[in-house]
Amino acid sequence: MRALTNGAARERRLASVATEASQHAESALHGVQVLDVSSSMAGAWCSRLFADFGADVTVVEAPSGHPLRAHEPRTEDGRAVAAEHALANKRSLALDLDAEPGRELLRDLVTQVDVLVESFAPGTLAGWGLDYDTLKTLHPELVVVSLTPHGQDGAYAALPGNNLTASARSGWAATNGFADQPPLQATQYQSGYCAGVLAYGAAVAALHERGDAGGEGQHLDISEFEVMASTFAPGLLRAQYAGGNIARKEGMDVTGGPVPVADGHFALTLSRAHFYRDAMNVLGLDDLSEDEQLQEGWYRNSHRELWVDRVHTAMAGWSRQDLFDELGVRRVVAGPVFAMNELNENEHLRDRGFWSRADDDLEGPEHSGAPVKLSGSPWRLRYRAPRVGEHTVAILGEYDIEEERVHTLLEAGVLAAEVNELTGSPR
Amino acid sequence: MSGPLTGVRGIVLTQAWAGTYCTELLAMAGADIIQLEVRKRPDSWRGTYTTPMADAVSKVPTAEHAWNVNALFNSVNLGKRSFTVDLSTPEGLELYRALVPFADIVAENFSPRVMGNLGLSYEELKAIKPDVILASLSAYGHEGPWANVPGIGGTIEPTSGMSALLGYPDGPPMNSGQMYPDAVAGLYGFASLVTALHHRDRTGEGQYVDLSMQEANLANIGDSALQEELLGEQRPRLGNRNLTFAPHGIYEVQPTSEGARQWIALAAEDEVQWSALCAVAGLGWDADARFAGNASRKQHEDDLDRAIAAWAGAEERDALADRVLAAGGLAAPVLDAIEVAEDPVLRARGVMVELDHPEAGRWPQVGAPFHFSRTPVQVERPAPTQGQHSREVFREFLDMSDERYDELVAKNITGEGPPD
Repeated sequence: MRALTNGAARERRLASVATEASQHAESALHGVQVLDVSSSMAGAWCSRLFADFGADVTVVEAPSGHPLRAHEPRTEDGRAVAAEHALANKRSLALDLDAEPGRELLRDLVTQVDVLVESFAPGTLAGWGLDYDTLKTLHPELVVVSLTPHGQDGAYAALPGNNLTASARSGWAATNGFADQPPLQATQYQSGYCAGVLAYGAAVAALHERGDAGGEGQHLDISEFEVMASTFAPGLLRAQYAGGNIARKEGMDVTGGPVPVADGHFALTLSRAHFYRDAMNVLGLDDLSEDEQLQEGWYRNSHRELWVDRVHTAMAGWSRQDLFDELGVRRVVAGPVFAMNELNENEHLRDRGFWSRADDDLEGPEHSGAPVKLSGSPWRLRYRAPRVGEHTVAILGEYDIEEERVHTLLEAGVLAAEVNELTGSPR
Repeated sequence: MSGPLTGVRGIVLTQAWAGTYCTELLAMAGADIIQLEVRKRPDSWRGTYTTPMADAVSKVPTAEHAWNVNALFNSVNLGKRSFTVDLSTPEGLELYRALVPFADIVAENFSPRVMGNLGLSYEELKAIKPDVILASLSAYGHEGPWANVPGIGGTIEPTSGMSALLGYPDGPPMNSGQMYPDAVAGLYGFASLVTALHHRDRTGEGQYVDLSMQEANLANIGDSALQEELLGEQRPRLGNRNLTFAPHGIYEVQPTSEGARQWIALAAEDEVQWSALCAVAGLGWDADARFAGNASRKQHEDDLDRAIAAWAGAEERDALADRVLAAGGLAAPVLDAIEVAEDPVLRARGVMVELDHPEAGRWPQVGAPFHFSRTPVQVERPAPTQGQHSREVFREFLDMSDERYDELVAKNITGEGPPD
């Protein structure tokens, strides 16, 4: 009985995006249904990638709005930049999960989808009777993706965390920044983005293993702390093999990152012998270029006094573009520090069509585009970020929830919807 | 292995970090990843053949070859097999082509011209194996005016916009302590290859994946890009602060008994966490009008940071973290690499693993960062030594005799270490 209903609802949901589907049937995840009840950047980015590769993603947010909607900075009309970005390509269902009827509704929805993304403190879903073991008996095909600061079990499971604490605990911060200043966290939201993309990939691997023909789903447990530790794997083993920790940089130094040039900052990573030789020639430091011993990277790194200051002085007279061009023709790796407005105008990114407007908001802002280009099943930004509850009624119709129940829950404030959606007309 | 990618095979030409991390994640999820190495031009993360060994590993009796005990290579190639082939010879190239039919996935992160020059472009691989998936990870992608501009993590960080965001509020743009853009590219490479596998499951078709490290990293700071677009402003460097919440910082605490400086991360993302911090400090911050509510704390963040720094400076790191966490606050000790290796949770959850490496011996290192309930992953293989599995791979797939293998070694087409 359940299966028949679900099948019919699923067909109707697919049909409801029929125009889009006929245009973009090549999307890798076409037909995959995702509910995202998470509240973090990690969860939002995971489900955003699902949407970008063709899944139908519903963000289930409280009537007060997804927590990212309260993050700074905001536009003049109060829209949070982080939410406009991370919630794009999804539709919004505003549902109060603090109320039991809200949780009952979620249970009815979850049994109809392929993937549930969540970021509650471990144990929260169990307290609502919505833990994986229960959901599995209701809907064996379901893949549940849990994204939390420290994972589902272990001594830290109940502890709060964020990008700052993940940077601190993973070893990331201890090697980041300058030695005479505090250790430095990763840039804001990095533990969220990284956990999000890893969780996305792992969840698609679980779908691959499940197959389409009634295979079993599973529960995927991703910890932001562990993902940041994974990105620190080389530093961790390097310290072990060396028998001691790796210190933060002593200061601005060409061997560790960008240094000043005439119009900004510039990185020159001299990781191969010919990079070093050719760069010294470009900088007019021919004696350094010809020095036999300095050809070896490990020797250069342990005898910085022989060359680093002179390189800084020589670089200071160059503009970023001239130096990048001169080094580029010699195939020397080099990199000017670009600000966002420069990247937005960057000829290469423009030529590749990186910057993208949502298909339904062609007057809207340009977003950063495909993180990777897939020839046969491309990334696509279809929808701008939804307003809170923008699609509540339409989505519930697709999921075969009776109108009467929807209206009752709306009146009780368990559901929220935009007024013009009360008719149930699809977007 | 019981991971979700069991049965998937990649015969890959990845190197350094971005490519190897991408394929390592596949291996850790259960795929059979067989990595080709070229002896004439060893993976830069093995070092050059003359790079000295690091101190502690050099004392391990089995550590014979520096290129097999490089921490960088050995940290990002878990779960793989390694074979060597000299692709610059017709015979070597033919060996690789003979293996392609056994591959679901080929991945590489050479400069964009290399695969085409070798005759291993996507079209050429597809002619051998029609549903093959090829992923190319490069600095700027395989199309566009900068396609042939070389780059690595340390130069992609500035050209992707990441360096401009990283640093202290009054300081210059910085690169991260590690070559973080490689890791980001590796994560997206992993995600895109699994996406392509799913597409193949559905349609029977392979495809070509073009990953630009610049774009993957820019996508990973997409909210900053949108800030420029919507508000017309470059996001400032935040140091340890947060755009929304205060307090949010890393504060110095008492040094260790050996005098090493120590630090703690403290923050509050809601009033519960703020109250917890106030209660532990016991200095009446909760009654201070400047700190009433997040908006006001954010406005008076300099004062707040000074107050916290003055208080935390007299405290001991781990005890303070424990007290704040027990009270319901947000805190974490800033751990160094040696401490992270001992982290009890990473160990208990199987993320910190110890594997016996044939030359380097046994060390803690970071393994699989994902946990699957029904198809649990277990990293069993350490990083391979260079060419460790050449004979095995040729025998398994090409039914090669020992005589033929020895002949190839004599011709330097396969083998180990610096070619003769």
